[in-house]
Amino acid sequence: MIYPGLQDRMVKNMAKNNERSHKAQVVLERFEKKLNRQIVGSLVACVHCGNCTDCCHYVLANPGDTTFAPAYKADQIRKIFKRHFDWTGRVLPWWVKAKSVYTDEDLENLKDIVFGKCTNCRRCSINCPMGVDYATFNRMARGLLVSVGIMPEGVAVVSKDQWEIGNQMGVLKEDYIETLEWLSEELEMEMNDPEAVIPIDKEDVDIVYTINPREIKYDPRTISDAARIFYQARESWTMPSDGWDMTNFGLFSGDDDLGGAVAGRVYEATRKLRGKKLVMSECGHGYRSTRCEGPNWAKDDIDFEMESSVITMLDYVKSGRIKIDKSKNDSSYTFHDSCNNARSCGLFDEPRELLQLAVDDFREMYPNRAENYCCTGGGGAMSMSEYSARRLKSAKVKADQLKATGAKYVVTSCHNCVDGLTDVIKHYKLDMQVTQLVNLVANALVEERRGIPVPEIPVEVKPAVSLSGKKILVTDDEPDFLTFLTAVLEDNGASVLTASNGDEAIRLALAEKPDLITLDLSMPGKSGIETFEILRKDDDTTSIPVCIITGKPEMRRLIYERAVIPPEGYVDKPVDEEGILVNVRKTLELVHKK
Amino acid sequence: MPIFEYQDVKIDVDEDGFMQEPEKWDETIAKALATTEGVDELTDEHWKVVNYLREYYLKFGIAPMIRKLCKETGFPLKRIYELFPSGPAKGACKVAGLAKPTGCV
Repeated sequence: MIYPGLQDRMVKNMAKNNERSHKAQVVLERFEKKLNRQIVGSLVACVHCGNCTDCCHYVLANPGDTTFAPAYKADQIRKIFKRHFDWTGRVLPWWVKAKSVYTDEDLENLKDIVFGKCTNCRRCSINCPMGVDYATFNRMARGLLVSVGIMPEGVAVVSKDQWEIGNQMGVLKEDYIETLEWLSEELEMEMNDPEAVIPIDKEDVDIVYTINPREIKYDPRTISDAARIFYQARESWTMPSDGWDMTNFGLFSGDDDLGGAVAGRVYEATRKLRGKKLVMSECGHGYRSTRCEGPNWAKDDIDFEMESSVITMLDYVKSGRIKIDKSKNDSSYTFHDSCNNARSCGLFDEPRELLQLAVDDFREMYPNRAENYCCTGGGGAMSMSEYSARRLKSAKVKADQLKATGAKYVVTSCHNCVDGLTDVIKHYKLDMQVTQLVNLVANALVEERRGIPVPEIPVEVKPAVSLSGKKILVTDDEPDFLTFLTAVLEDNGASVLTASNGDEAIRLALAEKPDLITLDLSMPGKSGIETFEILRKDDDTTSIPVCIITGKPEMRRLIYERAVIPPEGYVDKPVDEEGILVNVRKTLELVHKK
Repeated sequence: MPIFEYQDVKIDVDEDGFMQEPEKWDETIAKALATTEGVDELTDEHWKVVNYLREYYLKFGIAPMIRKLCKETGFPLKRIYELFPSGPAKGACKVAGLAKPTGCV
């Protein structure tokens, strides 16, 4: 701390004169507590050489608007520091352009700069000859504003969810677990192996795998892909039921308490499960928060290893634990560095190495590695809609960079960049798609491990039961679906009767005695379940086989709870022609055998 | 505040093109918003997704988990992405007139 007594007096005198709003006063009081050597060094060292100006993507996209220049933006925080905490500003405020904040409006103006004109990407920081780390005290200023409730609404909502529910998208524990179970079942089916699962809360494992909530809430394909890779690598791994969100809005909001609480939950989960290593999925700010900043925020001496899944996957490939066939990724690929990964954590060679092992056609982007430009969605910008227009304008630099590679895919190890780049591509109409390393590695996997194949029911191998001469009654309230089903069955020789509701189906079943009835479950009037029960209980129709075709698989339970013989066939919508035919034939064949 | 206009539709949207007043949503607006998300025609399958999102949002005030969406519509995840190329969060939610999902999306 510098000049502690003096600062106190200064701030108190201001308050006595009642010159400031309450919020402005609080910000000043808390400013002092945030000052450490790194921040003070950055606040005093700027010589306004202008080296940073061209480093910033906001400046490059807004030539002539000096308010975007990093040194200018930094000065808006620096002048407060000078006015209150540096002797130059106290003695000669007009000389060093020292100025305090007085009103809430002053704070709002500051918010517009620290949240809306900087993504904390640190490209200016690494290019400063004086070692000024503007992004660090920009984050500090964000934290000060957040502490008095001045922040973009998106940041407030997400921070609240992270504080209160434990993850940034407010995903409830039961939903998280149900989703993992669903993905696990699908993997097990795909691999035909009861060992192909996503273990939850397994203790004494080598890897505890943590993710970004967007994966579980909106796009779980990355979780499935990671699980597929772990399975092929025969990894001992698990996903925790608590402390699974390794993202951290504390990094964006500048709130170290939130940062520490969120990172702390992840560490606690790893310890509770006695995991040897904490692995984070491909997320730039999550990686930086959990691995690099979190131990300080949470004041935790970490006693386990932490790594990005990029490193885990690279080790698997290099050590031969998994085999990948790069010809399966046959497009052209470039790599975008996440600012948090590359500039703040030095993670840029490993993802490139892995990418080149996973694809043939890799095209470097310029500038790259620690000098790469921000996706423009960094620093939480994706959740601040109010600045989107500004963000997309500044993305011109990124768009030009992407376009120049000529690649069809841009690969990135950051979820935030995935969304940021997707917006850039859409806005600038680039012919490109975004993907991640986990997707490419999983896609190229040479599957050396699968369950013992269960011989498929040889429906189609044996001379199939022909549908010719078969009378089939199809029941569905959707006319399009009826038409589709009728066409498929008639093309294969069946004669088809149609019913659009339960009553009609019962009437036709009694009158026509079909060889098979297909039944939709949710229909207006008599439901499929009721219809089914009536058909089964009537002696004249009880022996007619029934195949349920439904878009509501969760209703399956209801039908099996009825005190009647269960249906002979069951197909989930959406269906394709092949699926229908296989099931219809199978059902008829079963009956045939009887 | 930006205004989104398409044929007869004129609505307030946020900077990312999500509806500001989700209660004003109707099918014409859905069709108009769909054009911004790479969906030229809303088929029955699209409507199934949109209607479920809408129903869930009106009840709970947030977007549902992708698991719930798949389960309720009966569509596998792959199909959802085929229907809405920009994904469930940005594409489908926008068309269904939901406010922008919060967080890293």
